[in-house]
Amino acid sequence: MPAWELKDKAAVSGVGHSPYGKRLNRSTIDLAGEAIRNALDDAGLARDDLDGLIVSFGTPIGADADTLAYALGLKLRMYNQTWAHGRFTATCIQNAAMAVSAGLANHVACLASISFSGFRKPMMGGAGDSEGAREGGGGHGEDPVYGMTSPGAGAALVAQKYFAKYGATSRQLAAVAIAERKHASLNPAAIMRNPITVEDHQNSRFVCEPLHLLDYCQINDGAACVIVSSSERARDLKRRPVYISGMQGLPAGRHEFIWTHPGFGTSQQEVFDYQAGVQPVYQMADVTHKDIDAFFTYDAFSILVWSALERWGFCKPGEAAAFTQNGRIELGGELPINTNGGLISEAHVMGWNHHVEIVRQLRGECGPRQVANAEVVQWANAYGDSLIYRRG
Amino acid sequence: MAEYKKPLPAISSLNAPYWDGLKRREVTLQRCNACHKLWYPPGPFCPDCWSRSCTWEKLSGRGKVNSWVIFHQAYFSSVKDEIPYNVAEVELDEGPRLLTNLVGIESADIEIGMPVEVVFDDVTEDVTLAKFRPAGMRKT
Repeated sequence: MPAWELKDKAAVSGVGHSPYGKRLNRSTIDLAGEAIRNALDDAGLARDDLDGLIVSFGTPIGADADTLAYALGLKLRMYNQTWAHGRFTATCIQNAAMAVSAGLANHVACLASISFSGFRKPMMGGAGDSEGAREGGGGHGEDPVYGMTSPGAGAALVAQKYFAKYGATSRQLAAVAIAERKHASLNPAAIMRNPITVEDHQNSRFVCEPLHLLDYCQINDGAACVIVSSSERARDLKRRPVYISGMQGLPAGRHEFIWTHPGFGTSQQEVFDYQAGVQPVYQMADVTHKDIDAFFTYDAFSILVWSALERWGFCKPGEAAAFTQNGRIELGGELPINTNGGLISEAHVMGWNHHVEIVRQLRGECGPRQVANAEVVQWANAYGDSLIYRRG
Repeated sequence: MAEYKKPLPAISSLNAPYWDGLKRREVTLQRCNACHKLWYPPGPFCPDCWSRSCTWEKLSGRGKVNSWVIFHQAYFSSVKDEIPYNVAEVELDEGPRLLTNLVGIESADIEIGMPVEVVFDDVTEDVTLAKFRPAGMRKT
């Protein structure tokens, strides 16, 4: 069965989240419970209507699916969990869409609930980088033996090469952080709301050079939840459904490096002149780039926004630096990006907070940061997966 | 030898020949006996043709800098005294890319594309790391 048959067959029926904060002093199960309850209330569903659960990012930073089912008294017909990386939100939602379409569940809560503050040891790099030492190396190019640790370091390798290859600069990259902070300033849920300038960006300390602190995401606590239902059921619920119109899975292989597109030549990637070509997600959703009213992407590090724009063909390789200048990616611009403020300024909830924002944009609930008449919104990443959502 | 506190490699049946090679002062990687391609990281069979037959081949130890970064944050307590330190991705002349540290060069002088050659660093009795320095430097 081609994926096309699932166009608009599943929908997001409700969204919810906990507060986001640097140190909430709350357990991840507690935060997850709040996000799930808010999402169910939003949809007009009761706890016992929920019969599916898909979690990304459990132990050691997040709440695991089985403990959530137990603690929250859920009666699940299916559950699933992806490993502790931020790259799986679209995968979880795609699996939920397939599950409700196949009758495995009626309503699937998809979420992550995380507490970075609950751990004394750094859990992203350094002593917490156990994955860096696994056979085959770390998931973001870590190799702790040479001091190469933390996800941001892999992004810094890409940024350095990008700057050299295309003559781009860190000052240009600042435009990404500035745009996202501007959006966050309009979002009461965001952790970082004070506007920033290019000089603020340039003066912020280097973490892994050439990336500055303001190129990095927040490290925080919080949970965000999206409920996926069949479109047929969603139409009978409280909110206007937001349809899942297009899906494209998460690719892997030697041609991929998590923070850039194929052909870039990082890790063991072959070098070639990458062209976005035909991407199935647009075919499935039956839309073109011109139809995309806002673009959301996993922005743990600002450079990923450039990689994503190039990967998905909004501009050619090397052109994202110029593309993102002069307000084009800000609210009111040609392609607003991460209107919640992203992982960089709203909060790092693995991107689940972006999916919550997309749904609210498509329901017209975003107040001062509303994208006028938003009908089609894309989630698409440097690492190659995507969802296209459509207003119901 | 002073106690070495930085992370050591997880040596497995797959990668032991690589680490043994470094101890002998040789950079060795697997070359497929069927399609003759090299691969890295070490694996059970050729990722191109799936042949299980390979030879650990001694490489030139030369390459060029593909990209590099400078760590300003000490993620490990054992590197606190070394920050800022560099990490480079070196593309070997034979193709595969290794993560490494550049030695004998100031970070301000590092450039993408610059030719480098391997130097062996015996960090413990059992482990030798492959670091790289600008090509053509006189041995000290």
